[in-house]
Amino acid sequence: MSLTAIGAAIAAFTGIGAGIGISLATAKATDAVARQPEADGKIMRLLILGCALAEATAIYGFVVAIMIILFS
Amino acid sequence: MLTISVFNILFTVINLLILLFFVKKFLFDKIDAIITKRQQEVDEATEAADKATQEAKAAKKEYEKKIALADEEKEQILSDIKKLGYEEYEKIVMDARKTGDKIVKEARQNARAEAEKERELHADELKDMVIDAAAKIAATKHSSEDDSMLYDKFINEARANNG
Amino acid sequence: MKEMLNELLMADKTLIHVPFGNGFFDIYKSVVVSWIVLAVLITLILVLTSNLKVHNISKRQAAVEASVLWIRKVVGELLGEEAMAYCPYIVTVLIFIAFSNMIGLFGLVPPTMDLNVTLALSLMSIVLVELAGIIKKGPKKWLKSFTEPMAVITFMNVLELFIRPLSLCMRLFGNILGATVIMELIKHVVPIVLPAALSIYFDIFDGCIQAYVFCFLTSLYIKEAVE
Repeated sequence: MSLTAIGAAIAAFTGIGAGIGISLATAKATDAVARQPEADGKIMRLLILGCALAEATAIYGFVVAIMIILFS
Repeated sequence: MLTISVFNILFTVINLLILLFFVKKFLFDKIDAIITKRQQEVDEATEAADKATQEAKAAKKEYEKKIALADEEKEQILSDIKKLGYEEYEKIVMDARKTGDKIVKEARQNARAEAEKERELHADELKDMVIDAAAKIAATKHSSEDDSMLYDKFINEARANNG
Repeated sequence: MKEMLNELLMADKTLIHVPFGNGFFDIYKSVVVSWIVLAVLITLILVLTSNLKVHNISKRQAAVEASVLWIRKVVGELLGEEAMAYCPYIVTVLIFIAFSNMIGLFGLVPPTMDLNVTLALSLMSIVLVELAGIIKKGPKKWLKSFTEPMAVITFMNVLELFIRPLSLCMRLFGNILGATVIMELIKHVVPIVLPAALSIYFDIFDGCIQAYVFCFLTSLYIKEAVE
């Protein structure tokens, strides 16, 4: 049990990358909107795309963690 | 959790296709038909309105043209009338001047003739008087005193007549 | 903890058991729930679009027209002019995923939490993307497009064929699964008030975002394919 818990915790570290990625993307998007408020629609779409892609890594980590717990 | 069943995947695909059919046939096509119809009506109405506006504009232009033409005509008539009037006036003035000249001339002539006549008459009288005086002198032998008296009388008579 | 997860994730998904075929023809719960979603959506569509008029429209019709135009505009912006023909499919997927994610509000398990449903969705998407490429470019040019921009990259391009649907499928599945698991955990800890507040985020907001992302990525791939 202890080893599987550690494994799941390590898998959950993927969240760090996703968090950094999403925060960077959001910061840049805020910057861009402040600079060009008329392009906010396009920026919003790109931000959502970037967030989805960055978030996917966290989701993979989550799925892996659950698999580790369930199938150990 | 991770069991994959081809049969269920197939079912989901069929579900989605059914939903796609309904969305396309009953939502999009229906709404599209309605919107297209309405757009058509709006287009027709707009076209009709455009046409009416154009017609009105054309009519307005025509009227303006007509009014301009009438103005021109009026000017023409007025100027014609003015010209005619001026000519008439000129003619009348000319006539009047001519008549006046003629009258003055005639009057002058008449006056001259009258004066001539008068002078002639006067000369006749003078002649008569001279003849009379001569006859008188010839008929009576008088003294030189008498003679000078007679001359004075004659001269006085002539002066009175002449004056 | 593990028991709860076991209960949630490892439960038998079979709802309708077919006696022959050794379980191959078993119909899962997710399919049945998606039937319910389908029935609701189709009824909604039929009711909303009944009795449409050209003039003197009712408020209901005005709302339907406005929302159809709006959703078409949103999807059209994603797809671009050239791929506008795939708009109905994208809209279909969008409303299906959005409603499926939100059905958790009514106490049912979202169908998108089942790997089979998301797999079916992503398979359809990738098939559509490649079909769009074939229709647009023709089979020869489509095959050639795998070697672009360089011949060396062909392997990556072919690999992308599998990565794309896998990533689409796993993203949707993982998100909904994660939301459900977190909701279950919170329900264990604080059984009142907090789950209701959080379910607004997880069921409505996150559900819609995930539906949008799925459609966004699919339309992006289609756009790329028809270029």
